[in-house]
Amino acid sequence: MWRLQISLFGILFAIVLMEATIIPSIWAPLRVDFFIGMIIGQIIYIPFSQGFPFVILSSLILQAFSGARLGLIPLLYILTFLAIEFLKNLVYLENTFTQLVMGIGFYLALMVVTAIFTDISLFEGKAASLIIGALLSGCVSPAMVYTVRRLQIAYE
Amino acid sequence: MGRSNTRVILLIIAAALILVLISLGQYSSSSAGISCVREGYLVFNKIITSPFTFIADLWKDYIYLVDTKRDNEELKKSNDALRVQSMNLEELRSENERLRLMLDFKAAHTEFSLYPASLLAQDITLVFKTAVIDKGSRSGFFVNMPIVNPDGVVGRVVAVSSHTSQILMITDPNSAIPALIASTRVKGIVKGTGGESLRLEYVRRTDDVKIGDFVVTSGLLGIFPKGLRIGYVKDIQVDERKIFADILLAPCVDMEKIEGIFGIGQDVATTD
Repeated sequence: MWRLQISLFGILFAIVLMEATIIPSIWAPLRVDFFIGMIIGQIIYIPFSQGFPFVILSSLILQAFSGARLGLIPLLYILTFLAIEFLKNLVYLENTFTQLVMGIGFYLALMVVTAIFTDISLFEGKAASLIIGALLSGCVSPAMVYTVRRLQIAYE
Repeated sequence: MGRSNTRVILLIIAAALILVLISLGQYSSSSAGISCVREGYLVFNKIITSPFTFIADLWKDYIYLVDTKRDNEELKKSNDALRVQSMNLEELRSENERLRLMLDFKAAHTEFSLYPASLLAQDITLVFKTAVIDKGSRSGFFVNMPIVNPDGVVGRVVAVSSHTSQILMITDPNSAIPALIASTRVKGIVKGTGGESLRLEYVRRTDDVKIGDFVVTSGLLGIFPKGLRIGYVKDIQVDERKIFADILLAPCVDMEKIEGIFGIGQDVATTD
């Protein structure tokens, strides 16, 4: 269990490096969310008792790399976790296409909710980066789910 | 014996005559004999040399090409290495240019204590405009420290740890800076929009504002020293039913290309 959790946190720091440093250095307005895929992977392959604390701790770490009001990022990711946990009973999550669609959908949902919370026009000069970011987040989600699965199998 | 000697002598004479004939016509293009000899020699030469030519061509076109292929690969590698080197040199050149601008800025503002830093990470959300820099309290950074670069105001420090600081950029919707229009001294508040532009608020519609006017910090509130460039007016909307004009600014700093920045130390007079 601990080895799995440590590996997952290692991947989380790689995600931060990608999201906060590498991708913005390529195109400053672009943000790609790798964490949604990790959340889906947690729900499918990791027990709730381990997955939920991981998401809480991870979102607190991610909060350090955002100017959002304290607690907003954890709140949004915990809501995402609970929403996907609920959808687990309705949708077959192990399907790659489903993971892709969920990656896009939740990326857009998170951005819209953040924009509503902060009363910002999300589309002012950001439409292109928003759409590309959503598509890329959708593409990386199945890869992140696969990574979680591989780790879970390796340490099982 | 005498007969055979005669035959030999006749043969030598005949050969000598042939040689004389050949040599007489050697510069004559119409010499059929010479031409025949040349043509014959050509055929002979071809017959004799063609197997060797074939082997030589085979060597040159196929076997030797192995080396050529290897040479080509080596040249490609060398070319790639040179291209990478060229890119590195270009990067070094631009870094040198950036550092030179920073040094010029520092030299031009001796009234400030400037603390250099570099960007470490940017905000993970699309909505907020914050960044993490690689200097913290141990390097003299503190909360509300103004952050600038040679082009103008970047933002201010909102959180600080030993070795890192989080800065709130002026384009963030939570940012507000007291400012004034440099030419007319009309005061207002510059707020971030979350996008690429800024908004200058609380400027009355009757005030003298023109497109292209520079907006600088006013020094009120004591956070930013006065006179630092923030942006210039790019759009003005006046509604007769409103007290204040809607003024949009373009920031002087290209927020998407920030690399090196300065924090301004506390020993600065900030009041207007």
